[in-house]
Amino acid sequence: MIEVKNIIKRFPNTPAPVLTGINLTIEDGEFVSLVGKSGSGKSTLLYIMSTLDNPTEGEVFYDRKTLHDFKPEEIYQLRNRNIGFVFQFHYLLAELTAIENVLLPARKANEVEQRRKFALELIKTVGLEGKEHRYPGELSGGEQQRLAIARALVMEPKYLFADEPTGNLDSGNGMIIMELFKKFNREKGTTIIYVTHDVDFAAIARRKITLVDGMIQTLTS
Amino acid sequence: MMFLSIRQLMARKKQSLLILLGITIGSAAYVAISGMMLGFQSYMLEQLVNNEAHIRISAREEVLTSEEMASYPGAAHVFWQIPPSGRKDSTRIEYPLGWFNKLDADKDVAAYSPQVVAQVIYTQNKITRVGRIIGSQYERQMKVTNIENYMKSGSFKDMGNSGNRIIMGTKLMELMGTRLNETILISTGNGLPQAFKIVGSFETGIKTIDEGTSFISLADAQKLRGTPSEITDVAVKLFDPDLAKNKAESWKTNARDKVLSWQESSAAILSVFKTQDIVRNSMTVSIIIVAGFGIYNILSILVNQKRRDIAILRSMGFSPKDIVRLFFNQGMMLGILGGAIGLILGFIICNIMSHIEVVPGRMSGPGNLMIISFSPIIYIKAFGIAVITAIVSSIIPARAGGKLEPMEIIRSGGQ
Repeated sequence: MIEVKNIIKRFPNTPAPVLTGINLTIEDGEFVSLVGKSGSGKSTLLYIMSTLDNPTEGEVFYDRKTLHDFKPEEIYQLRNRNIGFVFQFHYLLAELTAIENVLLPARKANEVEQRRKFALELIKTVGLEGKEHRYPGELSGGEQQRLAIARALVMEPKYLFADEPTGNLDSGNGMIIMELFKKFNREKGTTIIYVTHDVDFAAIARRKITLVDGMIQTLTS
Repeated sequence: MMFLSIRQLMARKKQSLLILLGITIGSAAYVAISGMMLGFQSYMLEQLVNNEAHIRISAREEVLTSEEMASYPGAAHVFWQIPPSGRKDSTRIEYPLGWFNKLDADKDVAAYSPQVVAQVIYTQNKITRVGRIIGSQYERQMKVTNIENYMKSGSFKDMGNSGNRIIMGTKLMELMGTRLNETILISTGNGLPQAFKIVGSFETGIKTIDEGTSFISLADAQKLRGTPSEITDVAVKLFDPDLAKNKAESWKTNARDKVLSWQESSAAILSVFKTQDIVRNSMTVSIIIVAGFGIYNILSILVNQKRRDIAILRSMGFSPKDIVRLFFNQGMMLGILGGAIGLILGFIICNIMSHIEVVPGRMSGPGNLMIISFSPIIYIKAFGIAVITAIVSSIIPARAGGKLEPMEIIRSGGQ
């Protein structure tokens, strides 16, 4: 469970805070979309929830433990074991093949061989079977994003954060990504929280959080 | 992170190879230049240390003073119109037995050889030449120097302990136009010249010795000089030549005679060696600095190019230390690999150079081949320099990479 309490986020040289008094609880296994106009603070909230950014004020709790109490090494381990990220730009490592990219988080955990079979299954699931040894440059944009999802899931994380995962894709590829999210949420119980400004993709989530000017306007289920 | 470091290096083959080449050339140059210069230096040092005494005790050239004249017995009854003055006509060690006792008792002394060293005039038919003779007992002299190793003909023992037999430098024989078993006349300037039979020749490779020095027995030298039972020098060999300087200093205290270590008598040559070392090190440092800047530049550019990768790695749980290692490893691999290849290349160059024939007497050793040092210290230093350069030039960009926060990169769109 992730709890967000009284989060305020200000950036230097910006008069108004990006986030103002955000309170939010996300239960395990939820499928949540964060929506809002550009500059509404949805990506900032996602990164604060996912430990990549720090709030100016307020606290984030993981299973009732505040992130303030986590040592840096514990945060790195939390990211490695429990959190998966999917970015708008896939951020695959150009020097590594598809399978090597997927196994990168396992490399940090020294579990490359243990997770190789699962990584190959994931590649198959995201529809890239037979392309395991291709480099990112040899894959299409949609394929690269699907590969990034496989990489985010290889450690079987509890939470998957995605920042506009379909933002750079056509609607067909976007739908494939959303279907993958639904599948992993349904079959593995992965908590999925994603940012989108696409109304149709936002509607796929079981819960939609709309941000307006740094504040939660609506929580719809 | 080694896996990723290797993959990133391999992905930029051309850049990596260029830097590798820089480090390789730097290390190879250090090995080759050091091998050449230290080879020459060690050969020269060996000549200096082993052909001459480690410490030479020699008679002080004394000048008569009016105070000294007054100290003679009966001086009060002698009135000089013109008092004697100037240098004493014969220089000798006043109390050799005292030195012998001291040297016998000293556990650092390996051997010593009493000598008579004198300036002489060599005469052969119409050819005359000024040179030096060293009169010694051959058994003792052979323990003090390794002259026997440099014999070109005959044995040093052939000199005997009397009988007017002489061993001459090969160059001196050439200059005098003499050959083995011929006779040569030698004079100290006082008295008649004496005939000596040439029973052997030597060649040390040092021009001044080979063109001007001869060895005769101590008794013959004393007879030639007209000073029986006197000696002018004591050549001393120590077990450890490096002790010579300190030992000479301690013996100088209260000594009437001159005491000179091989380091003092070869100070000019040793200072040339120091200059050579400065030139050698400066050249190598220049090459290595260029290679170091290469590593620094490449890694700095790489850190900037790989900002997105850093962001994604950090989001996966890789720590700042992991990111530092990712880039640092690459610099280290270039340093270690470049250093190792440089050592091999340097060794090959040294090996080729050691088979090159050069002009005799100029940086040449036995067989007129170039003298090259293959001392492990050179290789350890070369490798150390390559690795240290890699560490220094990698650490700054690597730490810059480690300091990047994933959010900074993501907010800037990964650029």
